[in-house]
Amino acid sequence: MTTPTKTEAPRPPATTLSGRLKSRFFPNPWSGAVSIILTPLLIYLGYRTLLFVFVNARWDAVSRNLTLFMQGTYPRDQQWRLVVQVLLLALALGVGTGTGSAAARDRAEEAGLAYSPPSVLGTLRRFWSLIAFVLILLFMTGTPVPWITAAGVVVAGLLGWQAFRLPRRLRMAGWLVTLLLLFAGFQVVSGTVGAAWVPMGVIAAVALWKTTPEKRFALRMTLLLKVGLAVGALASVRALYLAFPLVGVGWDNWSGFHLTLWWSAIVIVLSFPFGLLLALARRSSLPALRYLSTSYIELIRGVPLITLLFMGQFMLGFLLPVGSSLSRISRSIAAGTMFTSAYVAEIVRGGLQSLPAGQTEAGQALGMGSTAIMRKIVLPQALRAVIPAMVGQFISLFKDSSLLFILNLVEFLGVRGLVHAQADFRVVGHAETLVFVALGYWAFAFAMSRESQRLERRLGVGVR
Amino acid sequence: MTDQRSVFADATQAKGEAIIECVGVDKFFGDFQALYDINITVGLQEVVVVIGPSGSGKSTLIRCINRLEKHDRGSIRVDGIELTDDVRNVQEIRRETGMVFQSFNLFPHLTVLDNITLAPRQVRHIAKDAAEEDAMSLLERVGIPEQARKYPGQLSGGQQQRVAIARSLAMKPKVMLFDEPTSALDPEMIKEVLDVMVELAKGGMTMIVVTHEMGFARAVADRVVFMSDGRIVEVGTPEHFFTNPEEDRTKLFLSQIL
Repeated sequence: MTTPTKTEAPRPPATTLSGRLKSRFFPNPWSGAVSIILTPLLIYLGYRTLLFVFVNARWDAVSRNLTLFMQGTYPRDQQWRLVVQVLLLALALGVGTGTGSAAARDRAEEAGLAYSPPSVLGTLRRFWSLIAFVLILLFMTGTPVPWITAAGVVVAGLLGWQAFRLPRRLRMAGWLVTLLLLFAGFQVVSGTVGAAWVPMGVIAAVALWKTTPEKRFALRMTLLLKVGLAVGALASVRALYLAFPLVGVGWDNWSGFHLTLWWSAIVIVLSFPFGLLLALARRSSLPALRYLSTSYIELIRGVPLITLLFMGQFMLGFLLPVGSSLSRISRSIAAGTMFTSAYVAEIVRGGLQSLPAGQTEAGQALGMGSTAIMRKIVLPQALRAVIPAMVGQFISLFKDSSLLFILNLVEFLGVRGLVHAQADFRVVGHAETLVFVALGYWAFAFAMSRESQRLERRLGVGVR
Repeated sequence: MTDQRSVFADATQAKGEAIIECVGVDKFFGDFQALYDINITVGLQEVVVVIGPSGSGKSTLIRCINRLEKHDRGSIRVDGIELTDDVRNVQEIRRETGMVFQSFNLFPHLTVLDNITLAPRQVRHIAKDAAEEDAMSLLERVGIPEQARKYPGQLSGGQQQRVAIARSLAMKPKVMLFDEPTSALDPEMIKEVLDVMVELAKGGMTMIVVTHEMGFARAVADRVVFMSDGRIVEVGTPEHFFTNPEEDRTKLFLSQIL
């Protein structure tokens, strides 16, 4: 792919307003007729829409229930957890994008390409649907907490962004801090009892392993040192968790938009590795693996998601050992992951097949093993090629999370049931809450779709 | 084919110590036989140029030598190792033999430097710094050290092919196989690649080169092999080959291209 060269397009001769209107709407009789018919229709529809939005609608059905929409039945006295979570996630986002941009800058500098850091205006424009949604929320709310939280998000984001200025040797540290913050954000809400220390400990151990300098020590010393540090990190995280058990609200009690977003995020994160493994298994040279993977994929793809979700609720128990039980949300996450990984597998397979055979042959000719070829040559290229399709699948999953409503889980759409059980809104406000929920889904789905298009455009830079 | 083998008995033998030995190699693609009874020995530091019309099995032959294609009958030995289905043997041989492809096959997602250091780091477990030092000196050798941090897509065809040569050399192979290395290049870039290959030959690298560049064959080859329809038709020194070919098919081919 080549970067488009900037050429001055020949400007059309400047014309008068009436001339431009004429050339745009009445270039020929047919277009003119269409314009004449459509214009009053659009004006009428616009008038009715504005009339609904600004005059007739009972937005108090939404504005009085904003907290309910966002956090559902999450215990109100634990609300601070959600606020802290949002701040931590904003910080993680800032550090992540700062580190990512810095890494992109390093690469561009090395390759001798120009690099311009993302601008504030550009970022606002990129995520305008999300920003618009948040602004609507802020202007509807009657309490100061959302405003304070939003201000905190901006501050945390900008603070995290300072990772952009870090020197190069701290790049890996930036990524690890991002991961730690993301996980901390999750833990603040869900609590740290049980085996929750394991992922955090692994992150800390990997962090120390990866960031220990090698040059100053002899090789064996380094290895011993690294193992020691990693084990130490694991142990100290465990000790920390035992010393300060933070009792949160497990995801079984999550609901509202909070549940919708986390459910989608968890299913996406889980279904990616499973999908990848299924795709590799489907192309494996071992027939047993191939048949197993193929039949799994074809079986799942032939069943509607809602059926799978119900089967998850009623039938997952057959597969589990007697006596073990999974909560309804865990079951739905399992079902969603089973569903999405089959589609991810097919998408990844497409990417694997699109790669020219010469790439594998070049690796083979260099004496590389098949694992190294897959990891270093095939997958990086295949996965890049399928990012747009994958994001499309994830957007559709995000919207399909509304099906949880049918399982009586109170996610974003399900909150409407609670709202309209209230005496004031039993009859009025149904359309208004629907419009609001639709807007919430749209804001996120649209942002994801725009990001994917942007990624698609940028992927070719410096490549091929 | 036995009579033919006897005719070229001396010419199929290498000058020095043998490093590649093909004995009675047959290769099939389904029902189509691509190679018939190939017998050839290549000696250390020898440059063998393989020519012939398209579809004559030249590429198939050198792709069999590093097992990108599997031969069906006969035996191929590289540096004393027999090519079998044993994956370890195959990888051992591939590390000894570098290959340069017609379509470069550089890794587009990696910089030039990473393209070159990937295999040494993955296969030979060489430390990053050492591998990059090696890579830079190889890039000096092929004349493009200033492109190290660029991506293949930013380079011209000739530069890409030189990177591909450097990438193969980074594994310190004993033999280099060239599969029509200049056929996908624009005419003005052919020379820069051939120059690198000439330098390589002068440096004592053992090379098997499939090419249509008769000038290169004349100047550098120790022996020229002419293949047609999956058979080795004639083998000889360039002098013998271009001035006094014996076989009618060789004469016909040379008259068509010269």
